[in-house]
Amino acid sequence: MDIRLLRSSDIPNVQLANLTNLPENYFLKYYLYHALSWPQLSYVAVDVSSLEYNASSNPYTSKPPKIVGYVLAKIDEDNNQTGHITSLSVMRTHRRLGLAEKLMRQSTRAMREYYNARDVSLHVRCSNQAAIGLYTERLGFAREKVESKYYADGEDAFSMKLDLVSAFKDEEKAAEGEGEKTDGVDEGGEVGEAGKKEEKKTVKVGRQLGVQSLVENVVQKPSQQVAGA
Amino acid sequence: MLSRTSNRSSTKRVRPRSANVRIRTDRMSPGLKAADQILKKNPNHGDTEAMKALILNSLGQTEEAFALAKTALKDDMKSHVCWHVYGILWRSVKNNEEAIKAYRFALKLEPDSPQVLRDLALLQIQTRDYQGYIQSRNLMLQQRSSLRLNWTALAIAHHLAEDFKSAENVLNTYEGTLKHTPSKGDIEHAEAVLYKNMIIAESGDVQRALEHLDTIYQTSPDRTAVMELRAKYLLQLDKKEEAEKAYRALLDRNAEYRAYYEGLEKALGLDKSQKQELKELYASYANKNDRIDAARRIPLDFLEGEDFKEAADSYLRAKLHKGVPSTFNNVKSLYADASKLKTIEGLVEGYQSEGVANGDATGATTKKDSFHETTLYFLAQHYNYKLSRDLKKAMQYVDKLIELSPKTYDYHMTKARVLKHSGNISEASKAMSHARELDIKDRYINTKCAKYQLRNDENADALATMSKFTRNEVVGGTLGDLTDMQSLWYLTEDGEAYARRSEYGLALKRFHTVFDIFDVWQEDQFDFHSFSLRKGQIRAYVDTLRWEDRLRSHPFYKRIAVDAIKVYLALHDRPILSQETATNGVDPTDAKAIKKAKKEAERREREDAERREAERKAAAAKKANATADGETKKPDEDPNGKKLRETKEPLAVATRFLAPLLEFGAADLEVQHLGFEVYLRKGKFFLALKSLLAAFTIAPEDPTAHAQAVRFRQACKPLDENKAVLDLASSSLPAPFNDAKADLASHNEAFVKQHADSPRHVYNYARALKALDPSSSQGQKTILEVPDRCKDVNLAQGLEGIALLRELGSEKASIQAFAKKLQDKWPAATILEREASR
Repeated sequence: MDIRLLRSSDIPNVQLANLTNLPENYFLKYYLYHALSWPQLSYVAVDVSSLEYNASSNPYTSKPPKIVGYVLAKIDEDNNQTGHITSLSVMRTHRRLGLAEKLMRQSTRAMREYYNARDVSLHVRCSNQAAIGLYTERLGFAREKVESKYYADGEDAFSMKLDLVSAFKDEEKAAEGEGEKTDGVDEGGEVGEAGKKEEKKTVKVGRQLGVQSLVENVVQKPSQQVAGA
Repeated sequence: MLSRTSNRSSTKRVRPRSANVRIRTDRMSPGLKAADQILKKNPNHGDTEAMKALILNSLGQTEEAFALAKTALKDDMKSHVCWHVYGILWRSVKNNEEAIKAYRFALKLEPDSPQVLRDLALLQIQTRDYQGYIQSRNLMLQQRSSLRLNWTALAIAHHLAEDFKSAENVLNTYEGTLKHTPSKGDIEHAEAVLYKNMIIAESGDVQRALEHLDTIYQTSPDRTAVMELRAKYLLQLDKKEEAEKAYRALLDRNAEYRAYYEGLEKALGLDKSQKQELKELYASYANKNDRIDAARRIPLDFLEGEDFKEAADSYLRAKLHKGVPSTFNNVKSLYADASKLKTIEGLVEGYQSEGVANGDATGATTKKDSFHETTLYFLAQHYNYKLSRDLKKAMQYVDKLIELSPKTYDYHMTKARVLKHSGNISEASKAMSHARELDIKDRYINTKCAKYQLRNDENADALATMSKFTRNEVVGGTLGDLTDMQSLWYLTEDGEAYARRSEYGLALKRFHTVFDIFDVWQEDQFDFHSFSLRKGQIRAYVDTLRWEDRLRSHPFYKRIAVDAIKVYLALHDRPILSQETATNGVDPTDAKAIKKAKKEAERREREDAERREAERKAAAAKKANATADGETKKPDEDPNGKKLRETKEPLAVATRFLAPLLEFGAADLEVQHLGFEVYLRKGKFFLALKSLLAAFTIAPEDPTAHAQAVRFRQACKPLDENKAVLDLASSSLPAPFNDAKADLASHNEAFVKQHADSPRHVYNYARALKALDPSSSQGQKTILEVPDRCKDVNLAQGLEGIALLRELGSEKASIQAFAKKLQDKWPAATILEREASR
């Protein structure tokens, strides 16, 4: 399973993964909006074993990468020091491999490195114990508050935040000391129970919004829109 | 809001500021009033008429808008505003060609209008008119050279036109004007220099790309990008020692990316034969951290024999102990090597008895159950997989698992998959429904359930299943929401289920919906032509344009295009199918059945109409309360695809689906087969021949080309026009088809004799025979013998035989007899009965 940056050409398959797993869906343009606004932040997990490495010249027989997980992330439009996780999902067939955590680590580090973000926020269903465990125990997120009836089906969300400055303090120190060389991301320990149910979380963003509205009317707050199924 | 409609409304926001009118939805009617007032005093005032036309268009009154815009032009031919508005109107109906013409007229009248220039430039890049774009961006740069984005845009124009030198020069010129180095936080600058690096590398000068990269390496915020680029350049330049360091640094950041390991292997000068060295290399990474998967999994690809067995054993044990349910998925690609398949099978079979007899080897009693259960789950998937299939065993493991843990839906899901592979699609659907009920809040299993229902032709049930996770109050209900959310998989499967039942209207409706979504995706890039310049993320933008250029090379497109073309071919061959009565697989000669079917169709249509009306009302009521964001979605005038089905030119529509397939899939056998079918029917013999020749090149021995070549020769026989040229061109076909006088009948008999045990050869013999001698029933007879003569016939081939028999006009009784024989081979395959009784 490769963990790598999301490319535009991945988007149809990322969209498929999203539609398969999650109730909160977006049209392709919204993924493009992420990929073209903050191209460093979104990552995919790819099942490379299904890829034919000796891909022929025929695009129809050399299959596109099989996306088994993704994290779609951005920088807050109102506060360029805060990152935000728009959507994160791992296919049920590929759980317990620690993919969600690995995706999150890459994405949050890029927020820190590229945008100098101080923290990152996300929303998670209050019932999603596995995801909450991943965020709080493994990644160090702290619960901020409960947002009542955040999801379209009436469920509440925890709003969570991670302090990126302290999360990457050691790594940055090491990088400073050794020039370009950086320590590996801490991935110690065993795979958590995080995979028990795939991480289902998305924020309510822009179901009704075309990117154009985000583009032309920057003042609009997409997070105020009602979304979800 | 519908993405498509919101796109449409967005284009209307492109407004000519030259006319000093800001059009917003909420100010629409005051705008209209103001225009009317001016027109009262100054009738025939072109500019005002044009502005009014623009407002009307925003209100959805497209026809009136066009009429008024034309009047405006008549009244004031010399107004660039009128031409500009005329162009905007064309653009709003997606006619880029006419829009460009109008913008050009406007520019002739007012060469310096930045608004018109901008709109023209946007369309030039959208239509990939690079030379035109270069020209426009040059002018725009002259108008405002202080803006960095104008320089970058011109560089992009040159770059995409593959003039790397000019692209780089433009960027250098701008950089030369900078008085001091921009700060580290200046993202636009950081991106622009990285973009320049991309251009240098693409020009082929890697050495210079590396030198340039070194000057920005320390300060660039995009650590991943500069580290990856540096490693790549170093490797390309054969600076192995440094490349090794660079790849190791990348692996320290992300140890789950094969490309990094491959780079490191190359930097170390290792090839796949140096197994010992490779093994040690990967072990060194595996030892760094428990959780790295890649360093443990990759060696399984190159290790062999005992080494492989040992590595596979430790890999599988570790995963199974952790209870990783995707263990099988992680290793199944190794099954291409039969000996690795056997080794893995032996190992995991062994664990099973271990788990039961001796308990867990590691002694962790709490995990014992998980190890045993995960092992059983592995074996269930193993025996269900095509290369290691033994469905009986698979089902035994599934049953054991369900007994162990009856509430785990994965096991029921696997049961459904086993049933599907045995051809029992109805039981598979039931099993998947059961799995879904075990966790109704989980969309993954909901999705699988709907898919299995569609495979079992339960379209209505599938839609009901999907509705648990869709917004059902939107116009069009559940299906409307699935369309809005661009759920291609559902639309495709739904359409295919209708196509199977010859319900061609609804089938075409779905395929066209997907076709249109691809148009939307292509259109989606439009806003980014300006957005990305402002955001400054140029590399991502250029990547996106390149991807958009190949958008329809995606298999999602191929699938619906092939589906749609097949339907249109059927409609062409049997026009009666385009009639309502014939769409339920009803025998067109059976008057009683026709009447009944007609009534049934009428009833359904009525119900549909009632349902739509109710939905419309509900949505309208909803909308009255909601804050309107854009326009109302127009009700679909052809929800059941009746008009599509009744098309008078099925081949012309099929050609639209075919064109992108031939553009991207010239090397795809199925695409060339379809190209032949379409062009032969259209009487385009040279194009048919081109596809046929391509098919022979791709797969010289494929039996389909045999039948097509025979049909081609037969079709050419009666021709007078171009005959000589065609004969000449055909001489490049393989023998005996290169000879116009060859005895194809004997060749066809020899062909079937030689391949009597191959179903696909038999089928194509029958197809060829039909062209050679339409009165002969020998073809059908030979097909009917397939179940006896072809020992290795598989289920898919059996189903193909059923479809072909029907196409050749066999009687239902003989089709069913054929299916019955196949049924003896696959007793569980209820799909045979379903297909035979259509």
